Amino acid sequence: MAEYKSIRVVHGAGGFGGPLTITPTEQRNKVMYITGGGAEPECLAKIVELTGLEPVNGFKTNCPEEELALVIIDCGGTLRCGIYPKKRIPTINVMPVGKSGPMAQFITEDIYVSAVTSKQVSLADGAEAPAAEEKPAEEKKTEGVKFSADKKVSETLASQEKKSLVTVIGLGAGKVVNTFYQAARDAIQTCITTLLPFMGFVSLLIGIINGSGFGDAFASVLTPLAGNIGGLVILGIVCSIPGLSALLGPGAVIAQIVGTLVGAEIGKGNIAPQLALPALFAINTQGACDFIPVGLGLAEAETETIEVGVVSVMYSRFATGWIRVLLAYAASFGLY
Amino acid sequence: MDFIVKLASGFMNLFTLGGTQFVSWVTGIIPTIVMLLILMNAIIALVGDEKIEKVARICTGNPILRYMVLPFVSAFMLGNPMALSIGKFMPEFYKPCYYASATYHCHTNNGIFPHINASELFIWLGIANGVTALGLSTVPLAVRYLLVGLVANFISGWATEFTTKLVEKQQGVKLSRELKVK
Repeated sequence: MAEYKSIRVVHGAGGFGGPLTITPTEQRNKVMYITGGGAEPECLAKIVELTGLEPVNGFKTNCPEEELALVIIDCGGTLRCGIYPKKRIPTINVMPVGKSGPMAQFITEDIYVSAVTSKQVSLADGAEAPAAEEKPAEEKKTEGVKFSADKKVSETLASQEKKSLVTVIGLGAGKVVNTFYQAARDAIQTCITTLLPFMGFVSLLIGIINGSGFGDAFASVLTPLAGNIGGLVILGIVCSIPGLSALLGPGAVIAQIVGTLVGAEIGKGNIAPQLALPALFAINTQGACDFIPVGLGLAEAETETIEVGVVSVMYSRFATGWIRVLLAYAASFGLY
Repeated sequence: MDFIVKLASGFMNLFTLGGTQFVSWVTGIIPTIVMLLILMNAIIALVGDEKIEKVARICTGNPILRYMVLPFVSAFMLGNPMALSIGKFMPEFYKPCYYASATYHCHTNNGIFPHINASELFIWLGIANGVTALGLSTVPLAVRYLLVGLVANFISGWATEFTTKLVEKQQGVKLSRELKVK
């Protein structure tokens, strides 16, 4: 058969997982797609063209697992998206679905990638895919051969080239619905993994502080500091002292606790509500000072830039922190 | 005996108080945030990252776009920490400056758009809860937080250009001001 090439697949907008590198071999030389009741997924043609894999329609026939180099699915996040990752077969989901369903624990970045269209597929050696214009012609040829040759293609479903209006609408609506469903899943996940634990932790803290009488002690420290603009400026400057700022940063936990305590004092009437605005800035002048190397790494900065950037951002936090508090103070008049 | 009972009930009271607080947050805050998160997540997924990258390329040219508009858009669309990845469209010299602004943008807009930085929401929420406790609306506070943030984050980003120059001199290196063509 054709010569095989490796491809690299990254996740698309709202997707999860990847990048996957898929390397076909003599033995693993098939790509199975189990999508849209047998309709061909949009990314398939490009994958077939680049890799030389043989496409198999999972709705029509089956294929021994040992021969599969790749599976393409359009699972909305219930079952299919977990099956193949569980068997450790590289899986592409055309829907923007992350870890979900009863087999969520098997869906990992090294075996699963979602929200994939042909744009996310490229040759693994970094070479760009052939220009888009010349593809369609070739694709049709290969498809023609494949479908007439080795499959008892049922007339309606496999005629992907001319999808009926109903199919197009159906697929479109499905995508929107699935996107929202995934958005909801992500939102609930965020609540469970970050919001609720923090609420629990801070609630306990507040319970102890208020119930034990520590609250009054805290108030006597916090009120003079957070209860007037001079104190807030000092708080802002202290939080942003280079070095200290990096220690205060992680997870913003300290700032969040201080925020909650200041909020409690506002609620009790010990601190005027319009000071909430400058307080928001004062407790967070150190913002992200602990994260500079990682953040610059995300921006693909060079080592030199990171070395300079870590110091530079800490300096600028220190230099501008108090300005931010004063600005907020100036803007807080007439707030409440 | 009375003393022990008192001690025990005082001890239990700590957890009752904490539990009350927890329930009030879960019923009062979580539902709204979940709805907002869902809509925002969906919008972001439907728009896609590629469009943001296009905007990013246009915005590197001048300070206002670089430290005020672009970080705002990328924080809104990508959230914390992926908003920081947009710095890759800047020349090396501006990356720390963009970082300085974008990280703050992941906080100051959090009052109105909790999806940006849901895991660090309590910086905003902690203080806003106090305002709620007084029976006042937190919306004016959130709006001003965002607006003051826009100006203040711009200043913080721009100021970083000067501190970066300073550190360059200290360390005896010079970062590229030109964008590398890849």
